[in-house]
Amino acid sequence: MSQALTNYATLFESLRSRQKKPLPLKGLDKLAAWLGVRVRTGRYTLSWLRKQAEAIDRELSPGLRSLGEAALADRTAEVRETFLRGRQDDAVVRAALAITREHARREIGEEAYVVQLMAAMALYRGRIVEMLTGEGKTLTGSIAAPLLAWEHRHLHVLTVNDYLAKRDADSRRGIYERCMLQVGAIQQEQEHALRARVYALPIVYGTPKQIVADWLRDQIRLGALRSAWGGLRMLGGEGVASQGPIVPGLRAAMVDEADAVLIDEAVVPLIIAQSRKSDEMAAIYRDAAAMARELKVRTDVTVDALRKQAELTRAGRAKCAAMFVQRADPIWRATRRAEELVRQAVIALTCYHHGRQYQIVDGRVVIVDEFTGRFLPDRSWEHGLHQAVEAKEGLEITADRETIARMSFQRFFRSYPVMCGMTGTAADATLEMEKTYQRRVTVIPTNRPVIRETWPVRAFGSAAAKWDAVAESVAALHAQGRPILAGTRSIEASQTLAERLTARRLPHKVLNANFDKDEAGIIAQAGHSGGIVVATNMAGRGTDIKLDKDARQAGGLHVILTEMHAAKRVDRQFIGRAGRQGDPGSAQMFLSLEDELLALYAKTAAASLKKTCNEPGELAGWKRAATLRLFAFAQGASQNRDRRLRAETLRQDDWVEKHLPGM
Amino acid sequence: MERPTFSPFWHRVRAMKPRLRPHVQITRQHYRGRRWHVAHDPTSNQFYRLSPIAYDLIGLLDGARTVEEAWKISLSKFGDMAPTQNEVIELLGQLYNSNLLSADASPETEQLLTRGRERVRKRVMQQAIGLMYFKLRLFNPTPILNFIEPILRPVLNRWGFLAWLGLLIFALVQIIPEWPRLVGQFDSVTSPSNWGWMILVYILLKLWHETGHGVICHRFGGQVPEFGAMLLVLIPSPFVDASSCWSFPNKWQRVAVGAGGMMFELFAASIAALVWLASPDGSFAKQISYYVMLTSGISTVVFNANPLMRFDGYYILSDLIEVPNLMMRSNKMLQHLFQRYFYRIKQARPPSNQPGEVAILITYGVLALIYRIFLFVVITLYVLGIFFFVGLFLALWTAAMWFILPIGKFVHWLATSPQLLEYRTRAILGTLGLAAVGAALIGLVPVPDYRRVVGVVDSPLITGVFQGTDGFVSDVHVRLGQSVKKDEPILTLSSPELSAERQFVIASIADARLKLAEAFSKDDPAGAAVAQSGIAALEEQLSDIARREAALVVRAPHDGTIVGANPRDLLGAFQRTGEPVCQVADLSQRRITASVPQGDSGWLFQMSPDEYRVQARLVSRVHQVIEATGLRAIPAGQRILPHAALGHAGGGQIATMPDDRSHRVATTDLFTIYVDVDPAQLADAALGQRVYIRFTLPSRPILHQAVEMLQKAVQGKVTL
Repeated sequence: MSQALTNYATLFESLRSRQKKPLPLKGLDKLAAWLGVRVRTGRYTLSWLRKQAEAIDRELSPGLRSLGEAALADRTAEVRETFLRGRQDDAVVRAALAITREHARREIGEEAYVVQLMAAMALYRGRIVEMLTGEGKTLTGSIAAPLLAWEHRHLHVLTVNDYLAKRDADSRRGIYERCMLQVGAIQQEQEHALRARVYALPIVYGTPKQIVADWLRDQIRLGALRSAWGGLRMLGGEGVASQGPIVPGLRAAMVDEADAVLIDEAVVPLIIAQSRKSDEMAAIYRDAAAMARELKVRTDVTVDALRKQAELTRAGRAKCAAMFVQRADPIWRATRRAEELVRQAVIALTCYHHGRQYQIVDGRVVIVDEFTGRFLPDRSWEHGLHQAVEAKEGLEITADRETIARMSFQRFFRSYPVMCGMTGTAADATLEMEKTYQRRVTVIPTNRPVIRETWPVRAFGSAAAKWDAVAESVAALHAQGRPILAGTRSIEASQTLAERLTARRLPHKVLNANFDKDEAGIIAQAGHSGGIVVATNMAGRGTDIKLDKDARQAGGLHVILTEMHAAKRVDRQFIGRAGRQGDPGSAQMFLSLEDELLALYAKTAAASLKKTCNEPGELAGWKRAATLRLFAFAQGASQNRDRRLRAETLRQDDWVEKHLPGM
Repeated sequence: MERPTFSPFWHRVRAMKPRLRPHVQITRQHYRGRRWHVAHDPTSNQFYRLSPIAYDLIGLLDGARTVEEAWKISLSKFGDMAPTQNEVIELLGQLYNSNLLSADASPETEQLLTRGRERVRKRVMQQAIGLMYFKLRLFNPTPILNFIEPILRPVLNRWGFLAWLGLLIFALVQIIPEWPRLVGQFDSVTSPSNWGWMILVYILLKLWHETGHGVICHRFGGQVPEFGAMLLVLIPSPFVDASSCWSFPNKWQRVAVGAGGMMFELFAASIAALVWLASPDGSFAKQISYYVMLTSGISTVVFNANPLMRFDGYYILSDLIEVPNLMMRSNKMLQHLFQRYFYRIKQARPPSNQPGEVAILITYGVLALIYRIFLFVVITLYVLGIFFFVGLFLALWTAAMWFILPIGKFVHWLATSPQLLEYRTRAILGTLGLAAVGAALIGLVPVPDYRRVVGVVDSPLITGVFQGTDGFVSDVHVRLGQSVKKDEPILTLSSPELSAERQFVIASIADARLKLAEAFSKDDPAGAAVAQSGIAALEEQLSDIARREAALVVRAPHDGTIVGANPRDLLGAFQRTGEPVCQVADLSQRRITASVPQGDSGWLFQMSPDEYRVQARLVSRVHQVIEATGLRAIPAGQRILPHAALGHAGGGQIATMPDDRSHRVATTDLFTIYVDVDPAQLADAALGQRVYIRFTLPSRPILHQAVEMLQKAVQGKVTL
């Protein structure tokens, strides 16, 4: 009976959250909404937060510390009851925070600082909170989450990857259970029935990709259903578990690493696809790949690496036409479609590289996530691009997949009535947070000063010189006994560096999508004296590298960035692995004029600078200064481009929502 | 042109089974030799034009096929010509939004409502934007048309048209010889006391005009669902919604509906012309028929026939040259040219690819743009002149809607358009560059600043000759234009009264002398004294009479020529003292006199004469430019014109007081200026001849000049 009720509630909530689709705002409405946000949340200033936090710290916490377990549980039940009824006021919120703080202290022995209480309060009030890396975001989240879960019944805590979701859910379980809340984590490999059970819990950890996908699948299942009554058959039938919706609505969300989730990853919308019935296209893709190899870049075809677009020149067209005539398949008779196929093959050939955009695993092309450096085994590129890459690599060509649902992350997150977030680096994106999500950013002061040193950037004329210098620098610091984390942008680069280190006989571990099984083990070892880890972005956000005593004495973790990333925030996150919570540490960046960022955003300028410098080794003086300027420009251009792409994704989404009836 | 086959949003429409709503009507039309299909929803009056391929696709969507199936059939039929997924989505989206497509078996009430609300909102917005064209919807005129149209049906055909044409030509032939009389009547007929009648005629005529549209539309089977009134630049004017004619397959029928109003109006004007010719002067019929001709003539020529505004002429033109949606698409075409050639956006797509149509769109777009600016300036100045504050508000509003809003939209487009994604920096720099060049041209580059006034030729020495005494003109010694020496007689008067008076005084003196002698003889000193003083008084009278007698001969005050009135006209007339005879002017010296309005005279006193240049052209020798040698201004504002020829009544440009009979009193203060020129240039110029004077002030940027002009326009109307 209670299971049936849960199912019905899930169905109802699921439908409700569909019908409350957020309206895209335009023009003055947009401005008004934005001003509205500023006015509504204007009360929760930093000083107000501090006052609240200090009141908790001084007046409420001392009384709780001495309380017996049973009495504390009683108090918890009482506060929870108030929240459930929606009767909470500022005093109750303070009391609740004091209680969760006390539970956290008893469970894991860490007591939240005043600044963490401030941050938790801001989270509860729907802010995006910026706390410097290593300031204990996890603890902050875990004392704010129970309040949100009590009030809104279901809280989704969104993390950047499955590993973090599981790790956090497990490590916080004790605290939540003391607060009478159950917690679960959504993992990629979970079965449908298990997922449904996890989603029914009050606090669910998961990645946005998983949750959006589940929610979208629910919507597909619900199909044309317009009311919960219409779903009765769905509930009564042969097993809700396989048919009914599993996400009980979108109530409240707490986003960990908010800038990564809400901004960086929001460029590409989530797409649910299914395999089409096989349609003898394999030979056609192979033909296209063969033809693409015949074409010469620049004379026959121009390639825009940045936009990933190729255009045939007049000569290329003629060449293609001649080739099309020789093929038998009727598809080569329709010139536009045929040229499209060839262009796509050219793009697969020139813009997609093994070890960067994808990796071949067990004879299949697997996409590598640009931001997290992890594999995305379920994803494939659309409209034949995936097949074109497979044809290029000479692999078996899978059936084309067709989109059945699509949702931009921006729209998805706007569907949550309550949303808050934490990040180490939100300040760069304040305006976008406010405009897209109507959420304000609050910057929380640090608890302990950061004593991490940032060493000057080193610039090189050629990539080879850069890698040598990186290896040399690793060797020198390794000799001092310091643990080293070297970050690379792609799997390919991490392997290049690993080879150089092997050549110097430096013992090291490589952490990339190929070796993600040992992730926890590698991270645990990384802080030990003398440890060397070469990692892709996987080791960026959320990774907590604990130093051992020797390492701390040797000067803490040293982070080497071997390339500049597309967004400044990603660089800052990576550097933030060193010098956490007042630990010593240092960081340094190595750049070369042959780096990918320059190739994409400042190709001609980089080429001419390289020519003028005429210096394959390390650059100094004005040459170094010019290189740094160029990199700053390229990074700015890349951030701007991404921001516009996100705006465009959202705009397209809104257009479709408005102009097309339906789903 | 790149047209990617696939769209990321295809899944949204793929499985849908849409179809046109059952009541949507489709008609076939030809535009510039190409076939199109127009889908028309009579209930909401929405239209959508489909290309043959799109029509084929829509035809395939019968409610049973999915969009994907239809698209695949279309692909196999048309190959490369078939619409891409994006184009299909766009097509479906637009049809759906025009309420022409039903996408689902169940009605989506909420979405229908939302779209309805959106349409109302759009309408309100348009209303707000076009405040100069405020529209008020009144009622559905179909019952009226149902009554009128059968009555007129016998003549609504080509014979009727030929008869109409015949009548029009006949009336024109009759009226053209009477043209001067027609123009001559203008002032008296349009005086304010007659405005009531004019307005009545205007309203009736406009109702008749709209009846024309409605009846012809009805005649060809169209619906006329709306009748209302529109405020056109503050002038109310009725309108009917005859847009259902857009679905007529025959273009001549569409043209006929568009031209119907004007045809009816010109019919009325032709009849009125014949009535005007036949009716006696001063009769009521003559007056009313004059109004009918005037109103229909002006409104037809100025408003309705003009294709550059969205009136009848526009729709007629659009149908005649077979370019639908002319205005919108020509604007798009201009935008496209700008994007393609100025911003060099490769993906920009023109609204048309046919060379003929492209030429038409560009030509029309440019002309309409120029006209729009021209109209804005003219209307603004006109309304500003009449109602200052209303005019100011209207001008600002229209400026905002016609110019500022588009500029705002343009800036927004520049900042956010995805089309510009890769070109934005270049586009922004280019636009800023262009704006800077434009601003420099307006704000920095000096252009000549001309001021123009009309003056007259007169003489510095010109004296009126007046009667010195009463009398009959008995003799005239000179002719008009004859040169005279100083004191040369002009007229001789005879005054019998004066000679009688002299006789009487002489007799009285004789009488008084006798009385004096008698008093001496009687040794009466008192009586002698009385007689003595009497004589003295009488003698004084006598000398006065002598003086008056001398004045009987009117003489030239100085050397010169007789100008002004002809003294010969006075022969035999009785003239009183002080009445003008003629003028004597010294023609050896001539100068040019003009009046400068006070408002425009700042420069006159601030600049030294060598800073500007003065040129004059005589009316009689317009081709010849006379350089002035000097300029003198009288620094005292006055209202008396130096010459009646400068005032309105004398055919000049300065407004004069209507109640003043001399026609030389201006309504505003003026400064009199004298332009000195080489006397030889004026040697044969008639006095009183008009002269065009141009002052070339130092060159200044257009912005300065415009600001000053605006200040002048505002001056005296606003007190700050």
